Amino acid sequence: MKNGKFITLGIETSCDETAAAITADGRQLLSNAINSQIDIHTEFGGVVPEIASRKHLENINSTIDKALKDADVDIEDVDLIGVTYGPGLVGALIIGVAAAKSIAYACDIPLVGVNHMHGHIAAAYLEHPDLEPPFMALVVSGGHTNIVNVPAYNMCEKLGETRDDAAGEAFDKIARVIGLGYPGGPKIDRAAREGNKEAVAFKRVYLEPDSFDFSFSGLKTQALNYLNSERQSGRKINVSDIAASFQEAVVEVVADKAIAAAVKYNQNRLVMAGGVASNTRLRELIALKAAKHDIEVLKPSSILCTDNGAMIATAAYYAYMDGDRAGFDLEADPALQF
Amino acid sequence: MLILAIETTGKHASTAVIDSDGKYFCAESTNEMSHLREIIDLSDKALSNAGKSKKDLSHVAVSIGPGSFTGIRIGIATAATLGQMLNIPCVGVSSLEAMSTGISCDERYKSCELIVPMINARRHQIYAGVWQNGTKLPLKKLNEDRQYMIEEMTKLLSSEYKDKICLTGDGIDAYEEILKKEPGNYILADENIRYQSAKNIAMLAAIKVKAGEEVSYNNLTPDYMRLTEAEQRLREGTLSSRIKNL
Ligand SMILES: [Zn+2]
Repeated sequence: MKNGKFITLGIETSCDETAAAITADGRQLLSNAINSQIDIHTEFGGVVPEIASRKHLENINSTIDKALKDADVDIEDVDLIGVTYGPGLVGALIIGVAAAKSIAYACDIPLVGVNHMHGHIAAAYLEHPDLEPPFMALVVSGGHTNIVNVPAYNMCEKLGETRDDAAGEAFDKIARVIGLGYPGGPKIDRAAREGNKEAVAFKRVYLEPDSFDFSFSGLKTQALNYLNSERQSGRKINVSDIAASFQEAVVEVVADKAIAAAVKYNQNRLVMAGGVASNTRLRELIALKAAKHDIEVLKPSSILCTDNGAMIATAAYYAYMDGDRAGFDLEADPALQF
Repeated sequence: MLILAIETTGKHASTAVIDSDGKYFCAESTNEMSHLREIIDLSDKALSNAGKSKKDLSHVAVSIGPGSFTGIRIGIATAATLGQMLNIPCVGVSSLEAMSTGISCDERYKSCELIVPMINARRHQIYAGVWQNGTKLPLKKLNEDRQYMIEEMTKLLSSEYKDKICLTGDGIDAYEEILKKEPGNYILADENIRYQSAKNIAMLAAIKVKAGEEVSYNNLTPDYMRLTEAEQRLREGTLSSRIKNL
């Protein structure tokens, strides 16, 4: 406790950010230390798991130090440790879990294992102090595309998921093919602003009626076929047009399904979360469609959209209040479900 | 002085506590590769076997590799964070040197002049080194510890070293056929002493502490002895062609 407030340390190492943060009373952000590896992986055109694991190990202790120092909190003040234990890269997750368990043991602090995806949704509590469940959530990132009904704190009902590639993954892949490079999401977003979204007629994939699932791998094949035929007929490829058209085909389906879910479940609030929630066109389109149904859209700031320890601390706080506890036998679960 | 030693670079995780009288208290997992799940409980068990608590520790020692990459990281992340949070220094110990030291303390191998620990690194490779057997610790290293092709090591041993050699480590299990084909003046370490053990890490850590070779938690570095595959490819120029394929 510090100044009468419950202090949580959140630790996150599921992909390529080594992150630690401190919250007070669950949703007041005191610090948010993030050590991003993005520059290292850019050289390889994507996240290299073994390199990510090595970098997490190099950075984990200094990142925890920074989170404590920035928050002006001593480890003795910390009441709870929350750590991401899945889903993610197993070699990356184990670093955070090993460190979190060591702190819990060394300092006799309770520990909670946090589902990374629950963390992304919990980021909204930090950004919007008055937000309380129930609400609908859309989690879009490099690894995930999910529509989630949130009836209560520490409860997440997954309504839909991608059956193949995540939205961010689709952006990464197409960005690579048209030479924009890694990370694809922000680069597609930028290039698309200069392009014509109707230039290429990519087919929208909605799957079965009423399904909240996604499929983006066919879109990738469409794009490859289009590029091949353009090249064969000797036409010059307009990168911005392809980026804009491809992006539109992804975000239109995502936006439609998210709004449809909110309408079906009678939720008048939609929380956007995950790295791709920063996508300009997705935000714009969701705002447009939500307005038609009187749905309020809540977007966390970019820093809380990407992977961070703060969202893990907040999710851990509510899980702890709900009675969750992890033992020293906590393991990483790379395929952890919602 | 009370050192907690952690060894997670092999198949079975183990921990040991050594006190100022040189007494050991050990704990070892019976499960394979359950390092992350068990390492804290094993640490606590070694401490309670010693009748001590974590607050009594003066140092945390850890095997920094070579060995399982994942194992190395679990061990170092645990040791570094314990050091950081208990506010005590850390000691990094080579898994290979520790294995040699273990053999040197065993009466059964007194007649061997050399000790060669070899850890299986797959695809005909081993992490290995050559140490001179003796009673004075630390042992003298005669040949660089690094990654070798198994054939390279057997050739080196048969051409450079005529003395009796004790081979140890799971490289023996992996390359038994090759070792048999190239008969040298070998004896193979018994299975009850062949593999990584925290007791040996504790023994070397006590020596290092006396020599002032302790480090802060943020200077505890792994010794993988191998670049990642992606880095190798980048170096060889074979990376770009691969990542362009979807
Ligand atoms: Zn994420």
